[in-house]
Amino acid sequence: MGAEFRISRNRQIGTLSGLLGLCGVLWILSPYFLTVSNLLNIAEQTSIIAVVAAGMTFVIITAGIDLSVGSLLAFSGVVMASSLAAGRSIPLALTIGLLVGLACGIGNGVLISIGRLPPFIATLGMMSIARGAALLFTQGRPISGFSETFRSIATTDVLRVPFPVIVMIAVYVISHLILTRTKLGRYAYAIGGNETTAYLSGVNVRLYKTAVYGLSGMCSALAAVLLTARLNSAQPIAGINYELDAIAAVVIGGTSLMGGEGTVSGTLIGALIIGVLRNGLNLLAVSSFIQQIVIGSVIVTAVLLDTFFKRRKK
Amino acid sequence: MKRFLVVIALALLALCGCQRGSDRNAGRPRIALVLKTLNNPFFIDMQRGAEEAATRLGVDLIVQAAEREIDVDKQLQIVENLIQSKIDAICITPSGSREIVPAVVKANQAHIPVVIVDTRVDAATLKEAGGVIAAFIGSDNFEGGKLAGEFIVKALGGKGSVAILEGIPGHETGDSRLRGFHSVVDGQTGLKIVASQPANWERDQGFNVFQNILQSHPDLKAVFACSDLMALGAVEAIRAAKRDNIIVVGFDAFSEAQDAVKAGTMHATIAQSPSTMGALAVENALHALRGEPLQENIQVNIKLVTKENAS
Amino acid sequence: MRHIRKSFPGLVALDDVDFDLRKSEVHVLLGENGAGKSTLVKILGGAYQKDAGEITLDDRKVDIKNPRHAHQAGIAFIHQEFNLIPHLSVGENILLGREPMKIGAIIDQTAIFREAEKALRDLLVDIDVRQPIYELSVAQQQIVEVAKALSLEARILIMDEPTSALTEYEIQSLFATIRKLKQRGVGIIYISHRLDELFEIGDRVTVLRDGKYVGTRDVSSISKPELIRMMVDRPVGEHFPKQTADRGEEILRVEGVGIRGVLKDISFSVYRGEVLGIAGLMGSGRTTLARTLFGLEKPDTGKMYVKGRLCEIRSPRAAIASGIGFLTEDRKTQGLVLGLSVIANMCLPSIDKISKLGIVSQTEERRLSEKFVRDLHIKTPALTQKVIYLSGGNQQKVVLSKWLCRQADIFIFDEPTRGIDVGAKEEIYHLMNRLTANGVAILMISSEMPEVLGMSDRILVMHQGKIGAEFRAREATQEQILRCALGE
Repeated sequence: MGAEFRISRNRQIGTLSGLLGLCGVLWILSPYFLTVSNLLNIAEQTSIIAVVAAGMTFVIITAGIDLSVGSLLAFSGVVMASSLAAGRSIPLALTIGLLVGLACGIGNGVLISIGRLPPFIATLGMMSIARGAALLFTQGRPISGFSETFRSIATTDVLRVPFPVIVMIAVYVISHLILTRTKLGRYAYAIGGNETTAYLSGVNVRLYKTAVYGLSGMCSALAAVLLTARLNSAQPIAGINYELDAIAAVVIGGTSLMGGEGTVSGTLIGALIIGVLRNGLNLLAVSSFIQQIVIGSVIVTAVLLDTFFKRRKK
Repeated sequence: MKRFLVVIALALLALCGCQRGSDRNAGRPRIALVLKTLNNPFFIDMQRGAEEAATRLGVDLIVQAAEREIDVDKQLQIVENLIQSKIDAICITPSGSREIVPAVVKANQAHIPVVIVDTRVDAATLKEAGGVIAAFIGSDNFEGGKLAGEFIVKALGGKGSVAILEGIPGHETGDSRLRGFHSVVDGQTGLKIVASQPANWERDQGFNVFQNILQSHPDLKAVFACSDLMALGAVEAIRAAKRDNIIVVGFDAFSEAQDAVKAGTMHATIAQSPSTMGALAVENALHALRGEPLQENIQVNIKLVTKENAS
Repeated sequence: MRHIRKSFPGLVALDDVDFDLRKSEVHVLLGENGAGKSTLVKILGGAYQKDAGEITLDDRKVDIKNPRHAHQAGIAFIHQEFNLIPHLSVGENILLGREPMKIGAIIDQTAIFREAEKALRDLLVDIDVRQPIYELSVAQQQIVEVAKALSLEARILIMDEPTSALTEYEIQSLFATIRKLKQRGVGIIYISHRLDELFEIGDRVTVLRDGKYVGTRDVSSISKPELIRMMVDRPVGEHFPKQTADRGEEILRVEGVGIRGVLKDISFSVYRGEVLGIAGLMGSGRTTLARTLFGLEKPDTGKMYVKGRLCEIRSPRAAIASGIGFLTEDRKTQGLVLGLSVIANMCLPSIDKISKLGIVSQTEERRLSEKFVRDLHIKTPALTQKVIYLSGGNQQKVVLSKWLCRQADIFIFDEPTRGIDVGAKEEIYHLMNRLTANGVAILMISSEMPEVLGMSDRILVMHQGKIGAEFRAREATQEQILRCALGE
């Protein structure tokens, strides 16, 4: 089931071992690491970036990239927040937020598929535009103070598992199903693998490329919901540099930036690796400057190992 | 499929083998100081003061910060992780007055006393969430804004156009300083505030934003920056535009700013005592741990620093 | 050059070929597509390395390892697509790679222009050396290429299809230049399909066929028909497993299709159960025609009827919906997604048909793929094997299955057996028979004359964008086809 789209077994086991190995090391170094509450803590902290990274995985599989996810998170977040502040019901406000994310994502998609802009440029532009829109929309001020019900999105636990973690798992399960079982998934791999062949095989490349960016936008909007509930505040400056973390998660997880192969489960592991690292380094009271160096090194190492194994295979 | 089962098995095993978290260290108390950022000399001074107090009092001090003052979620994560590591007390300089409340609540639930430093937590949000803080240590930012306003009024003889460089909107410190400043300047009929823009407490943003303001208001006479870093950025912008008769007032009075005031490139700044704040934070956190009574609101003095009294 | 041998994976390009060039002569190299002409001259020009044989220059053995060596040996190569940099000036292009330097690392611009002007003056042409290349006409660009060769002090000049983009007048101009070069002792190797030109400018001609040396003659002592016979005379004995199927109704009709500058007034019909071979030399417009039928090129004029109904096919999706399948010339970059599995590639055009509400039926996918792997004897360890690991023949079978899976009625094959071993070729021919027996129509573009004659029912020969002639395969000969392809 979907086996053919898996990255090589070795690679996936490699990433997973990396995560488990990391956990092992931290277990030895810090007595606080391997407690249930800490692990759930990590999962909760990772959930926001993980949701963004799920959408990013689709985009990268089509050999594209989405630099605007952070800004889309901020923009859809503040729009949703203002709906809530204006008294709209929670489901309606959430829908509005998701639609904003979807619309901006489709905007990216149209620029890329019909306007033929390189994804880097199109999403870079959107990154700026959406950020400006968020700041303009709120005049720079965060919107805060939401109802208990809304905030419970972040604070409720279901069987000890924080709700955001459940949302994250749901997003990944759905993404996995989409990628492995639906037209959208098949076409995404084909377009990323060889766009010319896909086109010549009758794939509506424009439509599906646009769809993929729309999906990424929606994931950003969903992440905005989680973040806003967590902070009880929607900031127009939220999400800065989130695109880097999301891309890092995807890359560490084994998806190639060239497109055509990759899985969301890999991305999840990649996101968790980053989350575990951050948590571990905090627990060990390592300075945040060193944290940045460590995380950057992990990304580089992960990709180096990936290239190394690929070359050995040939 | 098989691989997946292996993973799940491992995970279950791990969860079972959990609960290795040991009891709190019977020994030196561990207190954390979570700053907005370490990129700001103000907070570095605060760290120094806190470390001195920690050594003096026999306390283990852990200092953590996010990379940028705008990253509230990162601060929240740091606090959560500190709670996991069974810290004894937490002192925070919040990067978001409302956004940090969930962190306070989590610390409360773990029975960890919280001391807020420098930037207030939003009282209404805190109350609504049912959070409690042990103490607040900070300056009266409103008063500081007033002092800055009064200085500018006097320096300009009550006439001229003025610009403001704000901090991050929503930060209580910046908001209070602004309100203090406005309370003095708004009444003056001869003075006009022609621009008021956020520069997010950062130096390079102070430069860029002020450069743009200068472009559109060539006859600007004075600028009040809510922090010294932004003021220093503005000073660079003034130099780049080859202007020289603009009054620059900052806030914080760390050493580089004081040098600038002595040299005449800046004209005044409001001195807080970040190192005192840091020391007081650690002291009061220790008091809270020991269950001793505390003052809820500890004001640290501020004063106007000008060429005359710059050190 | 003696006993030159060169192979590529799966193909022997040159087999024991001899060639020699004299001073002050124009020696024409003649042969069909794939005969080995390009390969031979590329070896001389240093782009390829020979596997066996020797090259001597002035009675001295030489080893030409790369184009730079070739330049140093006095060999200059003018490709069909010029090697000029459009945004640089004429002078800079002529002296590219050999720029005169001033002190240290500074290029001496004045010296460049001076040298370039000298080279051009020798050819008695008037081109401003400071002009950027993209402002020049094609003919002028070609002269620049020649000047480049001259300034290299080349003694051997290789020209590959030099006249394909020139007007009559410019061709004469070029010939004048060539004669001038001859006077200076330069030997010229001239590759062309245009027999008239051959007779006008050539001194000797060498014919290659299927990588083998056929013979060298003086131009003055040979006739066109003899040349043509030399080019195609193959030992009888190649047989193809062709099984003629019953011809059914007309399934595709093309009327007056044209694209300005490329195709002119193309009209023909294809019937169910038949194989329509399309022959022609490179550049005759065959692939453009195929692309037009598949919606990749937009015709300026003309109509297309599929199964009797007028169709406007503007995109591959529309073509596929009308039942057309296209096996492209280059299966690796256009026919397959190399990084995906057999099953993914096979079902790609059919995903719409096997999914409901956007969800793909994996059972259907597997069932169809298994069926075709079985039917077509595709050798693969598993359905999930990535196609990049399959052999050329099996890859082609996967591409074929793509369209079979989609139940196309009209197959366009563009060089279907290129780069495939003999065994797999046989299998593909058998598959073609099965297709036609089932009422499918096949348009087969091929440069392999025997294949065209062996597997087609009818043959269209294209020449310079037009249909030159139509033959019944049974009645045609290789010479007839080649003559037509050459425009005779």
